[in-house]
Amino acid sequence: MLVLIAVLLVLFVIRTEVAIADEQEWGLQMKSASGVFTELAINTDIQLDITGLVARVEITQQFTNHGAHWAEGVYRFPLPTGAAVDRMQIKVGDRLLEGEIQEKESARQTYQTARDAGQTATIVEQQRRNQFETRLANIGPGEVIEITIGYLQNVSYSDFSYHLRLPMTFTPRWEPGGLSTSELALASDTSPAPQVVARDSGTGHRLTLQARLVSAAKFAAIESRYHDVDIRQVDNGYTIELLNADELSDRDFELNWTPALQSRPSVSLNTYNDGESVYAQLMLAPPLSDSIDPQAREVILVIDTSGSMEGASLVQAKAALSHALNSLGADDYFNLLQFNSNTEQLFDQSVPVTQSSVYVAQNFITGLHANGGTDMAPALKSALSLPEIPQLMRQVVFITDGAVGNETELLQKVAQDLGNSRMFTVAIGSAPNSWFMRKAAEIGRGSYVNIGKPEEVAEQMSALWGRIQLPALTDICVEWGDAAEYYPEIVPDLYAGEPLWLLARLPSEPTMIGLCGQLNGLDWNLNINGWDAASSGPGEDNLAKLWARKKIEALEDGLMFGADPELTRLEITGLALDYGLLTRYTSLVAVDKTPRRAVAEALASTDIPGLLPAGSSTQLAGYPKTASGWLTQLLLSLFVLLLATSMLLFSGNRLPMTKPS
Amino acid sequence: MILLHVLRRHWLLAAVSLTAAVFSFDALWIPVKAELAQHLLERAWLRTLAGEPDAKPWPWADTRAVAILEVPRLGLHEIVLEGSSGRNLAFGPTLVNTSAIERSSDLVLSGHRDTHFSFLKELKTGDVLRLRTVTEIRDYRISRQEAVDSRGQQLAIDDRVDRLTLLTCYPFEAALPGGSMRWVVTALPES
Repeated sequence: MLVLIAVLLVLFVIRTEVAIADEQEWGLQMKSASGVFTELAINTDIQLDITGLVARVEITQQFTNHGAHWAEGVYRFPLPTGAAVDRMQIKVGDRLLEGEIQEKESARQTYQTARDAGQTATIVEQQRRNQFETRLANIGPGEVIEITIGYLQNVSYSDFSYHLRLPMTFTPRWEPGGLSTSELALASDTSPAPQVVARDSGTGHRLTLQARLVSAAKFAAIESRYHDVDIRQVDNGYTIELLNADELSDRDFELNWTPALQSRPSVSLNTYNDGESVYAQLMLAPPLSDSIDPQAREVILVIDTSGSMEGASLVQAKAALSHALNSLGADDYFNLLQFNSNTEQLFDQSVPVTQSSVYVAQNFITGLHANGGTDMAPALKSALSLPEIPQLMRQVVFITDGAVGNETELLQKVAQDLGNSRMFTVAIGSAPNSWFMRKAAEIGRGSYVNIGKPEEVAEQMSALWGRIQLPALTDICVEWGDAAEYYPEIVPDLYAGEPLWLLARLPSEPTMIGLCGQLNGLDWNLNINGWDAASSGPGEDNLAKLWARKKIEALEDGLMFGADPELTRLEITGLALDYGLLTRYTSLVAVDKTPRRAVAEALASTDIPGLLPAGSSTQLAGYPKTASGWLTQLLLSLFVLLLATSMLLFSGNRLPMTKPS
Repeated sequence: MILLHVLRRHWLLAAVSLTAAVFSFDALWIPVKAELAQHLLERAWLRTLAGEPDAKPWPWADTRAVAILEVPRLGLHEIVLEGSSGRNLAFGPTLVNTSAIERSSDLVLSGHRDTHFSFLKELKTGDVLRLRTVTEIRDYRISRQEAVDSRGQQLAIDDRVDRLTLLTCYPFEAALPGGSMRWVVTALPES
């Protein structure tokens, strides 16, 4: 009997296992999957130089050609969104080559010509917003090559701390000799491994990191979130180093530093004058949360319940929704919508927070289950066209893991119907629609959260509720006093703990910058004296580059709204060449003038299919879970069934004898 | 009367029997569902061919049929679904690529090793795989088959390459699901 129950328990475990295997959403999309080890024995060194709100990052990676032939290699790497890539340097033996920005086509020409002439050459191209590809030609057998990529990135600031995050988990993939389809076709089993197979799954990968934090002020705390570090105070700030040089780069590096209480900035203005224009970066820290009176809000929660939300995504989203209900204030109004193939709205119009309305809503949330398709548009439209409650700021929180087809139309809809609403978007999973979600939040003057893993939904959404509960400064306007081009063009509201962040180009030094807005329901004004600006010296053109990066991003976004592609391409190319930036239309290329490989000696990858045609892409994906385990479950269940019933029957036969009289 | 008495005396045994029966049906439902779904998908595919875009195999479906995979030597014919979620894998082999099949040349399909992709163990290097999409028929020849460990690596999909990759869990006869090994079949276009 005990044995039978034990087998039954085992069965139960298997069943759960099957369910889990089914649920792993593993998104197969180009997720930067975490927990992945590099296959390649390369060393990575990262140098961080942080001054004020700008970080210069230089990543140096070493490659060795282990083969016996000259090789061409390709590798791809991730960078944080919005990074301004402006430098590339390669070191072959004792020669140092500096990359230069060229228009994409001409950069390819330069590279291919050099490659075919036996010269060592490198090209870096942008593939998608945050993914880049480097190609290296003519690496000698056994040779070590060092590539340095340099970029600028803004430090982020929230809750009185600065943060910097470097993505590392996106494993660089090294394909010595590239991949030749014709070769693969010729010899099946001796051919080079296709990309799905790991090369050297070695452990020789080393990561070193040094950061310099330049600051006159002292920090109350400096911490690295995922790595052990050694922090030292030096003359002009701090240095931070990784303690374990053998750290595998299987997780992101995150550094947080908090200024001492008295040196928390309220406003910071930095300028850079290149003789022609002035670039300005303005940061306004939000007021302390205890000086903000909570304003009554109307919160509309819109949740995707299509089939793909099944599993952890929906379980966590439900928990987060009910948390949201509990965090509502007594004067707030709310409503709930769910959508899959159809849209269902809980209340005809938003209702005040009462015991009974919250009870009804909690029941509605408990009853949600994932099924059906993802038809986003009607839900978005219903949410925005709900009758308005006078005097209340409306916050629409839109939660989905799906894609939309008619992005432009929907965005125009948001822009048109927004009224007094604010739009917050939450994308779950690797979010094929992240552009749309980010843009909708931007136009909707709210914010966008991308939650990579379903397991993080509850935590990250709770953080969002906390933030949007306290709108600190709303309806912000900025007067630069001159013809300024500034980004973001639509200034979002400020929430407790979040700063306002603007980058502008002006014809001359600003004398006075005026800010206005609504604070605690009252008019609020602030004038910033241009004389107070901290100017960066000649050659320190970081602000100019960051501004140009923002402008390029805005131009790229314009494409989605029907901007002329050819004009946009020309404009972006012009900016990129002027400011020395890597974009989708410009690449970094470096060539060693001295030929090194005799042309007669074959380059192992001469038959690599040509360089990437524009618009094509490479994705990395995890491996799906592909076993249902039904047979094991069936056999075990049948076994138990058989045994248990026969025992029943057997005991039934013996019944008269065992019955006590 | 006796039956009732037996049940009362041996309720535990009865409960065990009942649970085991439920589990048996639950397990059997997986291959049945896998087979049934393919029939519904076949009909949706015909509707797609007839020009109905995004023909849904069943009204609440969150996916669509994008291709037919055939192995002429084995007489195999299966409908491929878009998106490799666990839910879709229950209904058929799935397309891992996130961009549309028409725009992809490096195609990766995955399927359950014990339902739709159990035939992978019968494939031989040199076998022809045929993929029918709405617009064309693509023939591939298997060039390589091997087992890989999914813990140490990711799958790179590179649309500069013309290729068909089939993926399933490995070993085929493993009793428990959830292992880290995968069986990878690589096929290159017949030219």
